[in-house]
Amino acid sequence: MTTARMSLDRFTRLLDRHGPALAAWPAAERSAAAALLAASPEARGRLQAAAALDMRLRRDLPQPHPAAVARLQEAVARRIARVPLPARPGPLARLRQALRPAVPAGWGALAAMATCALWLSLSPPRPAPEDPFGPLQTLPLAGESF
Amino acid sequence: MRTIASPLMQFLLSLPRIAAGAPVTRSAPVPRTMTDARPAGRGDAAPDLGELDDAALMARAGAGDRTAFNLLVGRHGTRALRLALRVLGDPAEAEEVAQEAFLRAWQAAAGFDPARARFTTWLHRIVVNLAIDRTRRRAPLPPAGLEAVGELADPAPGPEAAAVATQARAALALALADLPPRQRAAIALAYEQELSGAEAAAALSISERALEGLLRRARLLLRSRLEGS
Repeated sequence: MTTARMSLDRFTRLLDRHGPALAAWPAAERSAAAALLAASPEARGRLQAAAALDMRLRRDLPQPHPAAVARLQEAVARRIARVPLPARPGPLARLRQALRPAVPAGWGALAAMATCALWLSLSPPRPAPEDPFGPLQTLPLAGESF
Repeated sequence: MRTIASPLMQFLLSLPRIAAGAPVTRSAPVPRTMTDARPAGRGDAAPDLGELDDAALMARAGAGDRTAFNLLVGRHGTRALRLALRVLGDPAEAEEVAQEAFLRAWQAAAGFDPARARFTTWLHRIVVNLAIDRTRRRAPLPPAGLEAVGELADPAPGPEAAAVATQARAALALALADLPPRQRAAIALAYEQELSGAEAAAALSISERALEGLLRRARLLLRSRLEGS
C-alpha cells in the first residue's frame, strides 16, 4: 500500500483543524502525516508548536472560582423561587409537537412532488412551438442575386 | 404507507385530548435509563432525585419542581459558568450570563423535549448564544489586565512561579480577547473535557466540519499572537 504524500501546508492546516494529537485526526490522513513527520524537521517543529499551544490552552484557559459557582447556584435558586412556574406550551406548540411523529422524513419533498404533479396535470397543454427556422426560409437568399 | 398511516391514526385519535388541553404524550416512549421510567411528579415512593438523569429532572422541573431544577444547576453550573467565562473573559459578566441561561432553561422547562436534544447540549447552546450576543453588544473593552487575570490564578508554589503563571494567563487572555467571539466559543467548547466534537458543534448550531474550521482559524491567530510570549 502506498501513502499519498502530504505537503507541509496541508499538514499545518490539519494540525490547526484537528489539534496536535494525531490519534484525533481522520484515519485517512494519519499515515501520510506520520510519513511527513518522519521526513521533515519543519513538520516536527510545527507539531511541537501546536502541542505547546494545546498544552497552554489546557493549562491557562480561565476557570471559574468555586465561590462564583456557589453564588450562581444560590442566585438561580433565589430567582426561580420568585418567578412563576414554567409555562406549559400553548395549544399551537402542543399541536406542532403532536404532529411531529406523524411527519416522516422526506414528507416535505413528497408534498412538493405531489404539488408539482398536480400543477403539471392541471395546466393546459402549450401549443407546439413554431419552427425557429421558418422566417429564415422566407427571406431572399443573398446568393440568388449573384 | 403503513409507516405514515400508523402515526397519523395515533394523532387523529389523540386530537380530542389535545383539544381538551391534555399534555401531548409520545407513543411508547423508550426510557433511556431505569430512572427515566419513573413517573415525574406525584405517585408512589418519592425517588431520590440525585439518582435521576437530566431528562427526568427536567421533566420534574417542567412540572414545577424547583428542587429538581436546582439539582441540575448543581450538576451543570460549573461548566455553564466556565463556558461563559471563556467566551466573555469577564468573571462578573460570566456569572450574569450563566444565571440568565439557567433562568431561561427554567422558563422553557415545560417545553423541553429530550427526544430532540440532550439537556446539556440545549443548555450549552443557550449559554454560548447569550455570551456571544453579550460580547457583540458591549462596547470594546480594554483587554483584560493582569489584575483581572490575577483573580483567576490558582495559588502557585512560590511567588516567582505565581508571577510567571499569571503572566502566561494574561498573555493568553489578551490573545483570546483578540479572537472573534465565535472562534473563542469554539475554543471554549473544544477544550471542555467529556464534550464530544458533535456536542460542541451542536452547541454552536453548526456542523462538525464548520467547528473544525473555526478552531483552525482560532489556533492560527492564537499562535501568531502568542509567539515569543
